[in-house]
Amino acid sequence: MKQVTIFLVAIALLLAGKSPAGAETTLEKIARTGVLTIGTRTGSPPFAYINQKNEWVGFSIELVEQLVLPPLAKKAGKPVKLEKKESAPPTRIPLLSSNAVDLIAETMTDTRSRRDSVDFSLTFFVTGAQFLVKKGSPIKGIKNIGGKRVAAQQGSTNARIIRERAPKAQLREFPDQPAAFQALAQGQVDGYTNDGIQLAGLKAKAPKPGAWDIVGEFYSYEPYGMALRKGDSDFRAVVNNGLMEGIDSGRFFEIYEKWFGPKGEVPYPMAPDVKKFMIYQSVPK
Amino acid sequence: MNYQFDWSVLWTGQSGQWLLQGLVTTLEISALAWLLAGALGVLSGALRTAPWAPLRAVAAFYVEFFRNVPLLVWMFFWYFGVPPLLPKPFQDWLYDHGAEFWAGTLALGVYHGARFSEVIRSGIQAIPKTQFEAALSTGLTTMQAYRFVIIPVALRLIIPPVTSESLNLLKNSSLALTISVAELTFQTRQIETYTAKAFEALTAGTVIYLLLCLAIAGVMARVERRCAIPGMIARAAPAEH
Repeated sequence: MKQVTIFLVAIALLLAGKSPAGAETTLEKIARTGVLTIGTRTGSPPFAYINQKNEWVGFSIELVEQLVLPPLAKKAGKPVKLEKKESAPPTRIPLLSSNAVDLIAETMTDTRSRRDSVDFSLTFFVTGAQFLVKKGSPIKGIKNIGGKRVAAQQGSTNARIIRERAPKAQLREFPDQPAAFQALAQGQVDGYTNDGIQLAGLKAKAPKPGAWDIVGEFYSYEPYGMALRKGDSDFRAVVNNGLMEGIDSGRFFEIYEKWFGPKGEVPYPMAPDVKKFMIYQSVPK
Repeated sequence: MNYQFDWSVLWTGQSGQWLLQGLVTTLEISALAWLLAGALGVLSGALRTAPWAPLRAVAAFYVEFFRNVPLLVWMFFWYFGVPPLLPKPFQDWLYDHGAEFWAGTLALGVYHGARFSEVIRSGIQAIPKTQFEAALSTGLTTMQAYRFVIIPVALRLIIPPVTSESLNLLKNSSLALTISVAELTFQTRQIETYTAKAFEALTAGTVIYLLLCLAIAGVMARVERRCAIPGMIARAAPAEH
C-alpha cells in the first residue's frame, strides 16, 4: 500500500498548492539538506539490488555515487549524502513529481511519452527486450508467442509492445521480477519477457542458470536514463556533466566493466557501437 | 511541483475501455469472493457458537489462521502454492483458463470469510440465550433453531458491520494485481504506462472506487431499513442515514 501513501502525499502537496519545498530547485534543496535522494530498485541485479552481504548496490547506484555525487558536492559546497528509496515502474514518476525522491536511478527506459512528465539524463545503458524460457522451450522470439502465456513486468514498455505486436499471446503482468520468475519456474507462464540485460541478471542469479535460455532478437530498443523532475535544467546539467566526465575519463567504462565485464555480476560486454554511442553522447567542454 | 496535468488522457485512446474492463473485473472478483466469504462466514460464525467443542475449535482455527496472515501472502499462496499440488494436466488447463482470477477470488473470499465469521458470531451472540431456548422448546432441533431463528435474526443485526467488511473486500480486491489480475487498479497503472500520467490515472481509479463504495453503502442502508426487526433496540429512528 506504499503506492497509495505516496499518492495521498502527492495529493496533499497538490492541495497545499505551494509546499515549502516547492519553491526551491533541486540543487537548492540538496545544498540545504546535504542529501540526494534517489529512487532505485531492490531486485534488479546488477543495476540495483540487495546483494548477499545485504548491501544495496548496483551499476545504476554506483554511477550516481561515483559520477554524480562529486560534482553535486562541489556545487553544493559541502559533502552530499546519498539516500536510497525503493521505486517501481508504477511509483517512480509520482515519487519524483511529489519530491519524495530527486532522481530515479534504476532501469527506467527513456521514452517520448515519459518525457511529457519527467526529464531524462543521458542514456547510460542500452538494451532491448527478449524472452527468458526454460531450456528447450518452443518460444524462439516475439513471432511465435501466439497463444502462449507470457509474463511481463507491470508498467513496463515490453508489456505494451507485446500487447500491440502479439495480441494473441496471453499476457500476464506481475509487479516485480521475483513474482514473474516464480511464475515461469512453476509453469504458470511459458516465458518471461523483459529487457535482455534484466533477463541475463535473473538467469545469473537463478539457482540453476543452465536451466534457462534467453531467446529472440531484441524486439524493442530500451535506452536507460536517469529520470529527473521536469524543467529542472540546472540539476540535469550537473547530472549529465557528471556522466560526461565519467565517459571522458573512462571511469564510466570501468564501472561498466566491474558489473558487466567477464568477472562482473552479469557478464554483458558492451557492443562496440554502444561504446561509440556513449562516447558521442559526451559533448565538448 | 513541476507537473503538468492533462486530464484528457482519461478519455482519449483506450483509457476509457481499460477502466471499464478493470471495473468489470473488480466487480466480478469481488462479487464471487463476497459470495464465498458470506458462505464461509455464516458457516464458521455459526460453528463458533455451536454447542460442541470440536466444531468450535475447527471454526476458531479457520478464523485465526486466515485472518491473521496478510492478504498479500494469501494471494501468493493460492496462486503459487496451491496449483503445483494439483495433477499436471489440470494445472496446465487452469493456467490457460484464468488461474490468476480464481486464485485471487479464493484468496479474497477465504480471507474475508474469516473476518465475516467474527461479525456473524457477534451477531449470533447478541441474541439472548432465552431466544435459543425458546426455539428449542417449540420442538426445533439445534440445527433448525439455528436455521430458522438464530441465523436470520443475526444476519439482520450485523448489516452495518457487514457493509463495512464488504467495502473492505471490494477495495482489497486491488491486491489481486500482484498475481496479474487485470482489475481496476491494474488498469489505472496501465494508463500510467501508456501516458506517463500517474496522477490522472490514480485519481480516476480513486474516484471510481469511491463512487462504487458509496453506491454499495447506499444500497445497504436501504436493506438495513427494510430488514429492521421491529421491537429490537434503537428502533426509534430507523431511517437515520
